[in-house]
Amino acid sequence: MSGTPEAGRWLDGELPDNVRLGTGTVIQGAQCFKRFHNHATGALDIGPDCTLDNVHFAAGPAGRIVIGRCCYLCAPILLVEAELRIGDYVMIGWNTVIADTDFHPLDPALRVADAVACSPLGKGRARPPIDRQPVTIGDDVWIGPAVTILKGVTIGSGSWIEPGTLITRSVPPRSRVSGNPGRIVGEV
Amino acid sequence: MEPNRTLAEDWYPGTVPENVALDPTAYVESTYSFREFRSRSPVGLRIGTGASVYQGVMFDVGPAGEVDLGEFALVNGGRIICDSRIEIGAHTLISWNVVLMDSYRLPTDPVDRRRELARVAGREDRTLPGVVPARPIRIGPNVWIGFDTCIMPGVTVGAGAVVGARSVVTEDVPAHMIAAGNPARVIKSVPQEQSGSTGKAS
Repeated sequence: MSGTPEAGRWLDGELPDNVRLGTGTVIQGAQCFKRFHNHATGALDIGPDCTLDNVHFAAGPAGRIVIGRCCYLCAPILLVEAELRIGDYVMIGWNTVIADTDFHPLDPALRVADAVACSPLGKGRARPPIDRQPVTIGDDVWIGPAVTILKGVTIGSGSWIEPGTLITRSVPPRSRVSGNPGRIVGEV
Repeated sequence: MEPNRTLAEDWYPGTVPENVALDPTAYVESTYSFREFRSRSPVGLRIGTGASVYQGVMFDVGPAGEVDLGEFALVNGGRIICDSRIEIGAHTLISWNVVLMDSYRLPTDPVDRRRELARVAGREDRTLPGVVPARPIRIGPNVWIGFDTCIMPGVTVGAGAVVGARSVVTEDVPAHMIAAGNPARVIKSVPQEQSGSTGKAS
């Protein structure tokens, strides 16, 4: 790297006030913040020197996203109702989905209530409780394209997640994971 | 394509790169598909007679990459990550969000990867370098690839084969076979009773 450090920037619009970007971080993509609904302070914190291309920051009202330094994210979909923490030097490939929520309740009766609450006729009706658990991605993790990572998962530092893997359980550091369901197939 | 290399009714204000050989009968929905196209090969991408490239396809082609899309082939969204060569045969149908990647682009060793990512942050265009060896992909003619599938480096899919949706193909698929799953396994041969000109299963 050379020259004076450049302030972090979004190339396609005016950054929401509650987004903090480290120097040298570049966000690209007009639709990045289309579903960014957390208006609280510190809703999105991104370290320096990241490259974030067409990332969907789909954060609910209480969804917080923290990203470390020197990460490279190629159009992942980040669906966050609780918290997503991504470490330093993390690569995430195209069209990968990370979700820390079930979106709807598992119980059928509660799901009926949720369907009504979500409907055009549901105005003001409270939604039933929905399971959400934070997701943590350690430092130096490589995640390929078309990967799915679900709620409550921690991916240990240095792990390598092959393209197309479905991850529903936590992964120890320096694991190599592939398949559906995702299995540890080796060490890095 | 218009004489100035723009496309009719394109929402994106781009042009078709000079080293893209686009057959006049082929269809490309948007020049947005070339946003990540940085091949320096004389023909970095050939799009054959009657071939179609729909919205959402991204040709993420590195400086040494070459992509060949055969006659009447159809690609309906997805990402083509190419640092060496990717061939897609005639009449082959590729569904939405399919990933064809001939390279992982970054080293598997975390220390080496850290160094490369730091280097990327210092580049104006922020493109990933092809610092690991790429292995060409060959998709034969008359192949059908289901949605969300990933085709991994070095894979050959034989003529007339079918790959089920959401598969991850890490090994070659022989001609006229059906493969599916993650990792993909050959399940059976393609039924041949309606078969036309492509011949019998080998």
